[in-house]
Amino acid sequence: MATSLSASFQIRFSASSLISPHDLCHLSPHANGWKSSLMTESYKLGRTIQRSLRGSSVVSPMALAANASQDTDDMYDDLFKKYGKVVYKSSDQKSPTAEVDDDAECLSFAVALAKIASDVKAADIKLLFVKPLVYWTKFFLITTAFSRPQIDAIRNRINDLAEKQYGKFATGDTKANSWTLLDFGDVVVHIFLPEQREIYNLEEFYANATPIELPFENEQRFGR
Amino acid sequence: MIQPQTHLNVADNSGARELMCIRIIGASNRRYAHIGDVIVAVIKDAVPNMPLERSEVVRAVIVRTCKEHKRDNGMIIRYDDNAAVVIDQEGNPKGTRVFGAIARELRQFNFTKIVSLAPEVL
Repeated sequence: MATSLSASFQIRFSASSLISPHDLCHLSPHANGWKSSLMTESYKLGRTIQRSLRGSSVVSPMALAANASQDTDDMYDDLFKKYGKVVYKSSDQKSPTAEVDDDAECLSFAVALAKIASDVKAADIKLLFVKPLVYWTKFFLITTAFSRPQIDAIRNRINDLAEKQYGKFATGDTKANSWTLLDFGDVVVHIFLPEQREIYNLEEFYANATPIELPFENEQRFGR
Repeated sequence: MIQPQTHLNVADNSGARELMCIRIIGASNRRYAHIGDVIVAVIKDAVPNMPLERSEVVRAVIVRTCKEHKRDNGMIIRYDDNAAVVIDQEGNPKGTRVFGAIARELRQFNFTKIVSLAPEVL
């Protein structure tokens, strides 16, 4: 067994004595038979081959096996440098400046919505920047309304402004609810009745989000 | 693939612990319910001293299934348990916090409230 293997080694090496070990790895980097035989027989064969290859410039199989994984990496790197091109790139990724512009646009949209809410006398308007916490949206606008007609009024005005000025349409609640949600993609508007706001307490859940200062008079609720 | 008689875990703090599905809301003769479907369920096990009690009939929305859910981009998502979140007639969750991972498909099914309470959205 050992002699036949060593014979095959000899034949291979003599035929390709000018090929570097790097290229030998190209020929069969993942051939399990080659590698396992290297591992198990390499010690025995190494000796015989070193004797038979004395004087040639080919490296022994033990060294080949040790360098196999590194050589494949180098091989892939070389191939990539020569021929490499991007096959698939996720189209979501934007450059940092484009991202900041996007954020600024969403911020102006959110502040406009907050302004409407304060016009309708909604209380305790909070704008939270949740992009670092959550990947699916950028801003949360949380506000309290005191009656269902008021919620309807806020909802209609917000929808009108979004459609006319920004061309955005909301998914979410179509009727007034004790927790009314309007989802504009990057901005999510939550309109609570006072009891629900206490019960769900979203501000506590998103306590790590940075609150954003609103530029207008914000009617705070004292006490309750 | 949730069908009547299926037991589901409850993924929120509403007070129920285990539900058994009794009906799928939607079409009249739907065989199976998947993530995002509303079901009618009976509470089989409940946490003591909470507003929800055993053998109460509630509505719930399915948030996790052991049957894999395929997305258009080829991604397949499969959870280790079947779980639901108890909701009321208006679609608001009865609990105040949701536990475990939630699939982002719930946002398209107009359950963004549950997604906004979720600790992790996959």
